[in-house]
Amino acid sequence: MAETSEARPSASAPGGDAGGEEDKHDERMLECNICLDTARDAVVSMCGHLFCWPCLHQWLETRPSRQVCPVCKAAISRDKVIPLYGRGNTKQEDPRNKVPPRPAGQRTEPENNSGFPGFGFGEGFHMSFGIGAFPFGVFTSTFNFGDPRPSAAPRGTAQYEEEQFLSKIFLWVAILFVLWLIFA
Amino acid sequence: MANIASKRIKREFKEIMKSEEVAGGAIRLQLVNDNWTELKGEIAGPSDTPYEGGTFVLEIKVPETYPFNPPKIRFVTKIWHPNVSSVTGAICLDILKDQWAAALTLRTVLLSLQALLSAAEPNDPQDAVVAKQFRENPHLFNLTARHWTNVYAGGPNAIWEFNQKVQRLLDMGIDEHQARVALSTYDWELERATEQLFS
Repeated sequence: MAETSEARPSASAPGGDAGGEEDKHDERMLECNICLDTARDAVVSMCGHLFCWPCLHQWLETRPSRQVCPVCKAAISRDKVIPLYGRGNTKQEDPRNKVPPRPAGQRTEPENNSGFPGFGFGEGFHMSFGIGAFPFGVFTSTFNFGDPRPSAAPRGTAQYEEEQFLSKIFLWVAILFVLWLIFA
Repeated sequence: MANIASKRIKREFKEIMKSEEVAGGAIRLQLVNDNWTELKGEIAGPSDTPYEGGTFVLEIKVPETYPFNPPKIRFVTKIWHPNVSSVTGAICLDILKDQWAAALTLRTVLLSLQALLSAAEPNDPQDAVVAKQFRENPHLFNLTARHWTNVYAGGPNAIWEFNQKVQRLLDMGIDEHQARVALSTYDWELERATEQLFS
């Protein structure tokens, strides 16, 4: 006990003197490496360098063929920066709605490990019918039990868009195939 | 001028004024106009090089798209260096071209230019004549660079022999800088330089 009470005043004294300096230093730590201002809509690269998202976006746009970190020249890309959400930032508007949009933070849903749900046609039951080329089978059907399909990718990500695109293509192929069956 | 460019230059200017390099006299920066698009830089020739003791003035033009594109910089002071044109002062330095990065500042660029004076890159020359002399006759290159530093950048080391030869051509009615370029190009052989000047 005696030790702590002695140590405290001596430790706080130099801290109090250097308070202003330290504050300045802390502020500079949060400066964007491009505009040198305090980073707004902050993102951080995989190599750990801090930028405003609008600044970094413009840098990536300036040389699309050579996307490197403006500080250390490590390879970077739009998908590999992490947005920083501080607690003080309680603005109601979603920063992603701004132009240019800041990339969304990525979070994955925990794995759904529910087992075979008996005969309840609940989650994890999928059934599909298909029509194959004539000699090889008229009907093909598939049953899937208790095999959870990978959850859909979150809206707005590149994977989500890709999946949407693919499902549209498959839909059109199926329609064309049915039309061909009818009219051929 | 785009807002971000002038804002950043102002910020850099303030920081550079407080930097230890400015305090130590290694680099200097001055404003040329009020809208922050043109500046005048100065670097001291590094010690243990032929440029020692000289002060080299640079013209710095800040583009609208700064800092996403590099500043345009050239030597105003004439200099004999493989990576600087002895005619226009144009500089061949990768960070001023395709290796530019937005986090570089005028301070780091000026320091890089100073480093370029101590470590020339003759395999990527801006001035082929100077680079050839640098590779094939390093001793003469050193003397020539020292002479140019003395004449154009206020360096302390006059090369008496070279001054004599320039004077000889001056007496023939040739322009002083033209005479110096011809002599430097022909390894200070008076005959070949004269021949070239009168051909």
